[in-house]
Amino acid sequence: MKIGITKFPGTNNEQDVTRVLNCLNVENELLYPRDYRKLKDFDALILAGGFSYGDYLRAGVVAARTSLIDELHDFIISEKFVLGICNGFQMLCEANYLPGVLTTNTSTRFISKWVNIKVNKTNSPLLKGLESKVLRIPIAHYEGNYYNTEASIKQLKDNSQIAFQYCNEKKVVESMSNPNGSIANIAGIVNDKGNVLGMMPHPERSSFHYLGSIDGRSIFENLIEELKC
Amino acid sequence: MYSGKAKDVKIYENNKVKLIFRDSISAFDGEKKDIIQGKGEANCRMSAKLFEILNEYGIRTHYHSMLDNNTLICDKVEIIPVEVVCRNVTAGSFCRRYGVTQGLELLPPVIEFFYKDDELYDPLVTQEVAIQLEWMTKKEVMLMKAVTRAVNTILVELFDMISLQLVDFKLEFGRTHDGRIIVADEISGDSMRLWDKETGEVKDKDRYRKDMGDVIQHYNDVYDKLSKLSKLPELSLSTKAQVIVKLKKTVLDPAGEVTLRSLNRMNYQEIDNVRLGKHVFVNCLTAPSSELLKNLNDMSEKLFSNPLIEDYSIDLWFEEER
Repeated sequence: MKIGITKFPGTNNEQDVTRVLNCLNVENELLYPRDYRKLKDFDALILAGGFSYGDYLRAGVVAARTSLIDELHDFIISEKFVLGICNGFQMLCEANYLPGVLTTNTSTRFISKWVNIKVNKTNSPLLKGLESKVLRIPIAHYEGNYYNTEASIKQLKDNSQIAFQYCNEKKVVESMSNPNGSIANIAGIVNDKGNVLGMMPHPERSSFHYLGSIDGRSIFENLIEELKC
Repeated sequence: MYSGKAKDVKIYENNKVKLIFRDSISAFDGEKKDIIQGKGEANCRMSAKLFEILNEYGIRTHYHSMLDNNTLICDKVEIIPVEVVCRNVTAGSFCRRYGVTQGLELLPPVIEFFYKDDELYDPLVTQEVAIQLEWMTKKEVMLMKAVTRAVNTILVELFDMISLQLVDFKLEFGRTHDGRIIVADEISGDSMRLWDKETGEVKDKDRYRKDMGDVIQHYNDVYDKLSKLSKLPELSLSTKAQVIVKLKKTVLDPAGEVTLRSLNRMNYQEIDNVRLGKHVFVNCLTAPSSELLKNLNDMSEKLFSNPLIEDYSIDLWFEEER
């Protein structure tokens, strides 16, 4: 079992993800933009966060047009798991593997802080056992404002594809808890098959006690569990 | 199929037509008419030669091949009823219309549009009117202007090699069955003014307009000189484009809001809406064409903008580098 972690120029979260996977004793390897031929050797892929290609033009769009992300098409079709974190989520949207787009925070500020997210019921094995829990998890982004058309938001709701929503400590999804202006407080979504998960919060930064939370760790544990069976 | 003042158009095969050049010549919107032996042939081969040269530089034209001495095989097009005139030096109707002397250099060259209608004496027409009356679209105007300037750059350099000054010329454009805009009609001594750089001698249709005589002799002299050229001018044509990407009206623009508040703080109270967009400048290493415009559309849709939240508009032009 081997998990790939993407490293584009400007990606800066890959070491944090590596540390979690090493700790969970999973073989993992960094994948660079030109490594698209290696993709078939991996069982799952994690798109790590950061500022790929300086986030020029739009966050994640330049990375989304590389061969590595192009090749992800077949990888996803074959129902292998893909987890996009922060900039990785932005790439998945820009590449149309997930619906919608992440645009500038309404505050026009870079936001780096701890938030609470509510886990909704989806068909994704990556969220198994987490349904209706609240995770304490950090965010750090300038473009985390999830936008989509009204019709598509309804479709996401109807298909149970809204994985995470920003909420307060009491699990109430309300506008005061929305850090960036995301429609319906959306913090993460899954594709219809449930094998692609994109999220703005950083589970790798909430996977150790010494970081202040281990709430994000379950997502990696679920991924490894799935790969075992 | 169609018979004009100097040419006939007949259906050929596979979306093509035969363009048959006759010996008739006319001027002043058809008021002066004559037959000059050999004139059809002279213009036919001159057009073929110039179209071939333009094709070399990537200008898209309707020309395919020469069938016989006075027939060209061309793409079947719907002719846009607006002629484009490009002027490097003042002459002809320009001098009469604006009361300026002949021979003044125009830099950058001036582009004018004329509505093709003899009964109305081919009136000068503004872009706005031509678009409003649906003679051409905004996009077509943009392309026709860019292509005309590119053609001008090529022809000026080409005629310079045989010591002739390109004073002005006229182009017509057509729409193909698949919606492309290409150069159509003819390019010959009938559709341009050429002066000898040394002597100032007139080498074009003004010889007929002004009864100077030897029309065909001078047409053929230009053709012979062009034919003797061993190489074409070295030109690297490039087309400029800018893409403006705007957030859709329905999408909140936080950066625009912040800018608006700043303006209000600076006491510009009369402003109630500011939207910030992106400006992408693109230098393309090809001559302007419908294909290039389509590629720019693709680039805008696939990369420059995200269609979910943004709209874009494309501006394309050709700059003379001199």
